[in-house]
Amino acid sequence: MSRVEVDKEVTGSAKTPAPVTPVAPLWRRLAPWALLAAGLLFGIGLQPQLYPAQERLVSTVLMFVALASAWNLLGGFAGYASFGHVGFFGLGGYTTALLMYHLNMSFWLAMPASVVVAWLFAALIGVPLLRLKGHYFAIATLGVAEALREIVINLPKLTGGGGGITIPTFGAAAPTPWLGNDGFYLLFLFIAVAVVAVAIFVSSSRSGYALRAIHQDEDAAAATGVNTTLAKTLAFAGSAALTGAVGSAHAFQLQTIYPDRSFDVGITVLMIVMVVLGGAGTVIGPIVGAITIAFLSEWLRTNYTDIHTFLLGGMIIVAVVVLPQGIASYLRDAIKARRFSPLENVRRYRL
Amino acid sequence: MAQFLQATLYGLLQGGLLALIAVGFSLVWGVMNVVNLAHGAFVLAGAYVALQLHEAFGLDPFVSMVPAAVVLFGIGYVIQRYLVNLVVNGPLFITLLLTFGLELVLVNLMLYLFTADHQSITTSYAENSIVLPGDVRIPYGRLLAALLALALTVALVYVMRRTRTGLSILATGMDRGAARLMGIKARHVYALTFGIAAAMAGAAGAAVGAVSTFSPADAGRFTLFSFVAAVLGGLGNMWGALYGGLVLGLVQGIGGQLLPGTLVNALAFAVLILVLAIRPQGIAGRAFYASRVEA
Repeated sequence: MSRVEVDKEVTGSAKTPAPVTPVAPLWRRLAPWALLAAGLLFGIGLQPQLYPAQERLVSTVLMFVALASAWNLLGGFAGYASFGHVGFFGLGGYTTALLMYHLNMSFWLAMPASVVVAWLFAALIGVPLLRLKGHYFAIATLGVAEALREIVINLPKLTGGGGGITIPTFGAAAPTPWLGNDGFYLLFLFIAVAVVAVAIFVSSSRSGYALRAIHQDEDAAAATGVNTTLAKTLAFAGSAALTGAVGSAHAFQLQTIYPDRSFDVGITVLMIVMVVLGGAGTVIGPIVGAITIAFLSEWLRTNYTDIHTFLLGGMIIVAVVVLPQGIASYLRDAIKARRFSPLENVRRYRL
Repeated sequence: MAQFLQATLYGLLQGGLLALIAVGFSLVWGVMNVVNLAHGAFVLAGAYVALQLHEAFGLDPFVSMVPAAVVLFGIGYVIQRYLVNLVVNGPLFITLLLTFGLELVLVNLMLYLFTADHQSITTSYAENSIVLPGDVRIPYGRLLAALLALALTVALVYVMRRTRTGLSILATGMDRGAARLMGIKARHVYALTFGIAAAMAGAAGAAVGAVSTFSPADAGRFTLFSFVAAVLGGLGNMWGALYGGLVLGLVQGIGGQLLPGTLVNALAFAVLILVLAIRPQGIAGRAFYASRVEA
């Protein structure tokens, strides 16, 4: 912009210059969508090649791709670290379970209903919570998730309390029969593709720029005309709704859900670890992070059953020190600057 | 009425202990802007040190507060100096993740060493009570734990405000650049701060072991309590954690009487969210920038 103005002054021309909007070349705008379509086709093509156990593993990985990408919408783009996203995961799961158990509703209606419930709930609590920043926002969302769990535990007549609730999935009583390994693989594949599609759309749209502006300087963003409250609340609600969809599908897959597992803080932390290690605020980062961590965690679980959490903790520590900006951002910067030394990386945040 | 009084007293006694747990957490947060998710693991490490000393030498858990604090100080100093200092300038997620990784490592190490069984350190006197009129009972163990916790918290405030070391910690928290220009070694001071916080947690852990049962799985709960107490009290004020701990203890004590089931846990969070929404600076804290200047 400034370049154009300078030119105008020098030439003294009265002609108004055409407004300059930076537009990426067509192939760069279409590349993510093409990759996503390729990923979808690859996922569908991969399915017949897998054993049932592998199929379940890949379903879990796809679930985490969706969760990490959903968390990234607010946490990565706008920099608001929600530590309570498992609350929306559990809320979606319990909404589905309750609708199917008590009202005999079909899963295909219960899932959209769960999405709407998660969206509404997040929009409602987002208004007061998003006034907080940094650690305060993190702990407040954590509090909401913990409070939700306590409420579910303490309504045993409705939710089965701590003993859990079982969705009827077999026989004549089942509103929707269980989908089987193949069905859930496809369901999680479609959810993951949908969430990534939302992320691609957001990252290149006006709303994505608004969120990035909020991340960099919220006051400055507001001063340039970004409706920060609206942008944050919509991102929070959208992220929660997608997380709720995943929770809904996960509950149906498990059939029996318990409050302690559906509202496990560890799930939130996994989402955050995946996003940060992959590269927060990018589209590809959470996908890379989710695939890496989910496979790694599963591999450790099978090969070092006794100490796998210990090893996972150690790896998180090493990864945070060596790759604090995430795999995707590290590669992008390293290729751009042609500097691949990880030592420089360690120096970045050192005291 | 007697029941209510009993609940209030229990809440206050528990609150004193929570204050000692939270004061280190709050100090680290205020000085370094690091939320230490491994803080609960430090508390349990202190409890296990006391348990080992009790089993090996029959040492009283309240006496073990001293060795527990010393051991934890060493662990905390090393962790900050050679690990957390590496990423302390990073964004919020980074330090959170690092301390979360630490928590996983420490908790699983304790699970491996001491199993997941619930343990407690039994003494001959802790279960005996002072009986007040109206059959209100104060167990000696809880009273002693609360008094020692309060004394340690007050001592810490004194050290921070009156000694050279304490003042250098506060100065580094206010403005690291200026502190370094005054010849303060920020790396050492940060490590010292983390060590002191871990020592307080360790001492609190020994007291926790004397008055209740514990297992490695409780680490997350203690971290959460510290978080709630620190936010309730407000950062940047040395007394904040004390107020926060006492309020949290009272809310839990009285709420436990009035509410059915485990809803009391939700209550603590409800209070927290209410405080955050109405008075984000906490009971005693000030707005963020101002809090960095006075401590």
